[in-house]
Amino acid sequence: MPERTLEFGLYGARGIKGHQAVARQLDALVDYITSPPTTRRGLAARLRYLTRTPHALAAARAAGLTVTDRTLKAWLDGARRPSNANLARVEDAYRTVRRHNVARHLSARLHRAGRGTRVEIHPVNQSGVERPRQRAVEYRTLNIRHWEAIVDAWAAGDEQAMDDAWVEQIVDLGSQWGQYEYVTNIGFAA
Amino acid sequence: MTDFEAIDALLAGARKEVPLPPSEQRRTLREGLNVSRAQLARALDVGPSTIAGWESGREPGGEVREKYAYFLEGARTKLAAEAEEAPDGHDQAERTETEEAPAGDDEPESAEDIEPEPAHDTEQEDVETLPVARPCVLCGQPAHHQVAGFPQHLDPADCEQAEPARSGPTPRPAAARGVKVVPVGRRMRRADTPDAIGSAVAAALAEHSGDVDAAAAALAKRAIPDAMALLDATRKGGRYDVIAHPWLPDILRKQTSRGADRIWEARPKWARPELPPGTHGVTALDINGAYLSALKTHLPLGQLEHDTTGVHDRRRAGLHLITPPGWDHEAVLPNPIGTRDEPGPLWVTEPTLRLLLRLSGPKYALCDPPEIHESWTSGATESLLEKFRTTLKDARERAITEGDEVTLEYVKAMYSKFVSTMGESNYNRELYRTDWMHIIRSQAFANLWWKAHRAYDEGLMVVRVMGTDELHVVGDWRAVFDEGRGVTEVKVKDVYTVDADGPADEKGDPHA
Repeated sequence: MPERTLEFGLYGARGIKGHQAVARQLDALVDYITSPPTTRRGLAARLRYLTRTPHALAAARAAGLTVTDRTLKAWLDGARRPSNANLARVEDAYRTVRRHNVARHLSARLHRAGRGTRVEIHPVNQSGVERPRQRAVEYRTLNIRHWEAIVDAWAAGDEQAMDDAWVEQIVDLGSQWGQYEYVTNIGFAA
Repeated sequence: MTDFEAIDALLAGARKEVPLPPSEQRRTLREGLNVSRAQLARALDVGPSTIAGWESGREPGGEVREKYAYFLEGARTKLAAEAEEAPDGHDQAERTETEEAPAGDDEPESAEDIEPEPAHDTEQEDVETLPVARPCVLCGQPAHHQVAGFPQHLDPADCEQAEPARSGPTPRPAAARGVKVVPVGRRMRRADTPDAIGSAVAAALAEHSGDVDAAAAALAKRAIPDAMALLDATRKGGRYDVIAHPWLPDILRKQTSRGADRIWEARPKWARPELPPGTHGVTALDINGAYLSALKTHLPLGQLEHDTTGVHDRRRAGLHLITPPGWDHEAVLPNPIGTRDEPGPLWVTEPTLRLLLRLSGPKYALCDPPEIHESWTSGATESLLEKFRTTLKDARERAITEGDEVTLEYVKAMYSKFVSTMGESNYNRELYRTDWMHIIRSQAFANLWWKAHRAYDEGLMVVRVMGTDELHVVGDWRAVFDEGRGVTEVKVKDVYTVDADGPADEKGDPHA
C-alpha cells in the first residue's frame, strides 16, 4: 500500500504506530489491579481473579498459566512464591483474561448505541526533523462507530489484526490518512 | 438668461446646514431613549454603521441630516421633560456612560479585575420615598421608591410579579432589546437559548417532587457530565477546539501510583511571623467562588512543546522550570511561589510565572525576575472557558438573588468538580488535561495573592494567607473589599482577637 510508511523516523520524526496508541488508551481505560504482582497483595488479587470460578481458571489456562492445581493452591495459601518467570506468566494471563472479560462492555461503551466515539489523533512529533523536511500535519478528530474489530484484536493481543482494524477506520480521514499511520497520541473516552 | 435663473433657484434652495449637537452627545441622547442603532437606522433609512459613524465624529449631510437633527432635538426635549419629572434625573448621561464602560482589564491578575463592579447598589445609594406612585423604570408598574432619580421597586420580586404595562411613559429596556433569530432552512426562526442549568434543576425538583435535599444530591451526582455537556455547548462555533487527550510530558505524569507529579502549584500557606504589640482584631475573609474566577486564565490549547530558550512568550502558556527569585518581604506579604521547603529549581505553571514576572517589573519591583530554564508550552488563549465561566457565574448570581440553594449547590458542584477531575481522573474521562488543572488552581492562588497584596497596599495588615480562598487581615477591610456573596466580593469566615501583649494564646471572640 503506498500510504504505508516504509522507513519511519529516517529524518528524525518520532511517534508510535496508531494501533499501539489505541491499545495504550484502551489499557488506560480498563482498571487493572493497582498493586504490582511482586507484592503479596497484588499477587493474591491476581490469583484470586484467575481461579475464582472454573470458567475463569479455564480461561487462565488457555492464556498460558500452565501450572498444576497443587502449585496454584500453594501460591494462594502463601506456602510458596512463584519464580520470576512464573510471576510474568501470572501477570500475562491476568491481563489477557481481564481484557477478554471487559472487551464486550468496552465495545458497547465505545459504540454508544450507534453514536460512536470521537477520537483525537495527535500527529507525529517533528521537532527532531530538519526544517525543510518538516511537513504540515494537523491535529485531526474522527468519529469511530465500529469498534468491535479493534477491541477484539486488542483483547486477543493480535497486533496485526489490530493494525488492520485500525487502518480500516482511519482511511476515513481521507486521502492523507497515511500521515496518521504513526502518531504521538490517540485519545478517546469510554 | 436661463443660467442666471438656475443660479437664483440654487441660491434660494441653499440653506444653512442644520446645527447638530456634538458627536459625543448624539449617542447619549439616543441611548437615553433606549433606541438601538438599528431602530434609528431603519427610521432614517440608512445603515446602522452610518449611525455609528455619526456618533463617533462624522457629519451627516443633506436631507438625512435634517431628519437626524429632528430626531436628536426630539430626544433632547423628551429627556429634558423626563429629567424635570424626576428631580435627580440629570445624571442620565453619567449613568449611560457607566454602563458603557468596558468590562475590565484583560489581565486577570485578581478577581476584582475580572468582574466589573456592579454599577450601583440599591442598598447604599440614595433611596427616596415618593409621595405619589410613579411607574417603575423596569416593569412600568407604580412604584413608591426611587433610586438616584429612577422610580423603581426595591424588591425584585415586586417587579417580576407585576404585569408590564403596555404604554408606560418611560421606555422599557426589555422592549427595546430585539429577539435573537437564526436562519433555519429558507426561513427565520427564533433562536432557542437553552438554559441547561435551569432546566436540569427544574427536572430534578420535579422528579423528587420538590424535595430540595434529594434533588440537590441527585444534581451533585450528575454535575461532572453536565459540566462537560455545558462546556461542549459553550464551545459551539468557537474558534478553538477543546483538545481533551493530548500527549503529556513526563513532568505531568504521577511518579508513583499514589504520588504526585512534579508541578508546584504555589499554594499559599503563610502566616505573619510577628505582630506589633497591642490587641488586634483579626477578620478571616473568604473569597467567593475562587475556582470559578480562576477559570479565566491563559490555557494552552494544544499539545505542549518543549523549549529551552528561557524566554517567556506572552502568547503561549504552559509549564516552566524556573529558579525562583529571593523574597525579602516575608514579614508582611507571602512569597508568591508559596511556602517551599526545598531550594533549587521547580516546575511552575503559567499564572505563577506571570505573577513573578509582573512583580519583578518596574511597577512593583518586589523581587528579581525568575530565571527560566526550560518550558513546555503551547499557543494559549484566555477565552477558552470564558463562556462556560460566564454561564456558571450568571446562574450563580441568579440563584443568590432568588435564594435558590439547589441551583447554587449544583453550580458549585459543577465548577469545582470540573476543575478537580479534569486531570487523570476516572470520574471524568472526557478530559485529560492535567496541565489545565494545575494552571487553574495556580490562577486561584495567584488571585488570592493579589487580594493579599491589595489589602497590604491599602494599609491593612495581612496576618494569614492560606488555602485557595482564605485571607486574615487586621484593619478596616470594608474600605478595601465589598462584603457579599458575589464573585467580586468577600464574606467573613471568622472574627477573632490576637493579644500580642499578653501570654501567647489566641482567643476566639465573635463580638470583637
